[in-house]
Amino acid sequence: MASVTAAHRAARLQAGERALAFFESAGFGRVEPHVLQPTGPFLDMSGEDIRGRLYLTSGSEGGELCLRPDYTIPVCLLHLAQGGGDGEQRYAYLGPIFRARAGAEGELIQTGLESFGRRDIEAADAEILALAMEAAEKAGSKPLKVKIGDARLFEDVISALGLPEYWRRRVRRGVARGLPLEKVLDSSGLTPFSKAGVLAALERTDHDGAKALVQDLLAMAGIATVGGRSPSEIADRFLEQAATRLDAGIGAEQLEALDRFLAISGHPDAASRQLRELARSARLEIGPALASFEERVGFLAARGLPIDEMSYSASFVRDLDYYTGFVFEAVDAAAPDSGPAIGGGRYDGLARKLGASVATPAIGAAISLDRLPLETAA
Amino acid sequence: MTLTIAAPSKGRLQENAFDYFARAGLDIVQGRGARDYRGAIAGFADVEVAFLSSSEIVGQLAAGAVHIGVSGEDLVREHAGDANDRLALLTPLGFGRANVVVAVPQSWIDVRNMADLEDVCAHYRAKRGERMRVATKYVNLTRRFFNEHGVTDYRIVESLGATEGAPAAGSAELIVDIATTGATLAANALKTLEDGVILRSEANLVASRAADWTPDARTAARGILSRLAATELARRSREVRARLPEGAAAIIAEASERFAAQPEGEAGGAVGFLCPRDKAAQLADFLLSKGARRVGVHNVEQVFEIPNPLYDALEAKVFPKAATPA
Repeated sequence: MASVTAAHRAARLQAGERALAFFESAGFGRVEPHVLQPTGPFLDMSGEDIRGRLYLTSGSEGGELCLRPDYTIPVCLLHLAQGGGDGEQRYAYLGPIFRARAGAEGELIQTGLESFGRRDIEAADAEILALAMEAAEKAGSKPLKVKIGDARLFEDVISALGLPEYWRRRVRRGVARGLPLEKVLDSSGLTPFSKAGVLAALERTDHDGAKALVQDLLAMAGIATVGGRSPSEIADRFLEQAATRLDAGIGAEQLEALDRFLAISGHPDAASRQLRELARSARLEIGPALASFEERVGFLAARGLPIDEMSYSASFVRDLDYYTGFVFEAVDAAAPDSGPAIGGGRYDGLARKLGASVATPAIGAAISLDRLPLETAA
Repeated sequence: MTLTIAAPSKGRLQENAFDYFARAGLDIVQGRGARDYRGAIAGFADVEVAFLSSSEIVGQLAAGAVHIGVSGEDLVREHAGDANDRLALLTPLGFGRANVVVAVPQSWIDVRNMADLEDVCAHYRAKRGERMRVATKYVNLTRRFFNEHGVTDYRIVESLGATEGAPAAGSAELIVDIATTGATLAANALKTLEDGVILRSEANLVASRAADWTPDARTAARGILSRLAATELARRSREVRARLPEGAAAIIAEASERFAAQPEGEAGGAVGFLCPRDKAAQLADFLLSKGARRVGVHNVEQVFEIPNPLYDALEAKVFPKAATPA
């Protein structure tokens, strides 16, 4: 039993070496971030939800550490530690990552590539997906089926719909988690406007008036203010609620447009026609995002990727806290329900969130060697 | 030792646990003074009692180092994601009641429920670029509950004591903590959210699925659990005795039907029932109306019966998964 596992692992590592050699030949220098990483950046980026999947420990100086659950954040931290550099910086990696999963091996092998600083966004998007697909082939993978999405297009559509921030956030989160729209837009948990006396009183007032009222209310009730939120912030939230009347939910026209948008899926060219038609009939100002989408499809075709075999889905956005543009994944074409063997996307906000002074365009892809369907594997 | 039972090593929880066992005639004796961490139960030579802190009890149960323990449900549910796989709640014990709640500063007059909290957390992050901090020792319970309510923009600050002071101290914006009356929260200018009760907890008898349940351990557990179950059944029951005129059989049948009373047989008109405590008085009235001249309602000390609900719970929840002894 043990020798089968060892042979299996060796085969996966060899496949990874072949993919890595290809990345290196394409100008991506191998980096080897530490296995032990500070936990903070992972929790900041992905939220507390990820904590259950981390192997945690503490450092000798008391800080919380984890075994790296992926390479992207450690590579980005390494990139920033080296000063970032001008122009494009290209990195590749191969090694174990660690994710606690009930009843499954916690150590997984990943290879992948990251590109920072490249300004021709759509061309870079296409190149990274093309390189990842070619690396998988070089590693000895069976045919994969590619699914693409666009987090920027999604953001621009919900902005163009003019939804209040509260609903935008609900839609963003809900769709990323794969929830049905009616559940995402359920307003029954909110305090009805009619019962929120203070809100109604604030409907026609301004910030200073609202702040004074909140302070008076707290003083009258003899409530001490503790903790991080000031009366000013509380007042602002009251004002926003008074202005948006959240309990009414969203408008019928907005709902219909959102429904139509999220239903768009299929061949990228057909999807692009449907998106244009939706923008025209629902009068959505999403021109630049649409142009970017179409330009990217053009670059993907120019790179020789089979557009006809790809599918786009408007609701495929992966994690919106993280990805800001193109997203993609590839699964075993013979077993489409298996987990993604390749996953990646554009994360222009990451470097800044990890402490960079300026936003840095960035895109990457990871190949899971435990999921890649190898030709030689039994 | 054949069977190891973990009991709290100090405080009110220990007193209550000792009382619970003592009512069943199980006297826990601490060896060589109060500071010894091993004890025994008088009359059970093959049972050992391990005195542990509350959090250790759950850990030792999960590791299989002890067979049965007394622990709060809050700690059982908090213990790792797979706790439900390794730990089985046998029965609530009626003491150590407390709620695990989400509490925010009272000054947040715009925040009443979890939907409000979700909104406020997101605002806070959007404006300040940082997540709101939640001080708690219930990391897993918090994560699960917040996830169910769609709250994602927060960070947990682990707090092992005086959690309720964290917002005032500036080390967190809100807390998840255990609260018995809410007085401690109020004293710290905090309030519980309307739908912010994560768990209504009380002390439980908890069994380990990971422990070595040898045939001898099972026999010892059956002996202990049958006494505990017999005492519990007696506590909830009254014995009702009377002398009936003619036609006792029909009256007995009607009484057992209407008052969930179990007849204990009849001889020469003398009848006895075991019936639920809250139905005893009604049963007495009924028997008087049927011709009895005097009805006695008695406390009973223990009622041993088959089936034994506690041992059956142990068997159903623990043994299918426990390693079968060779």
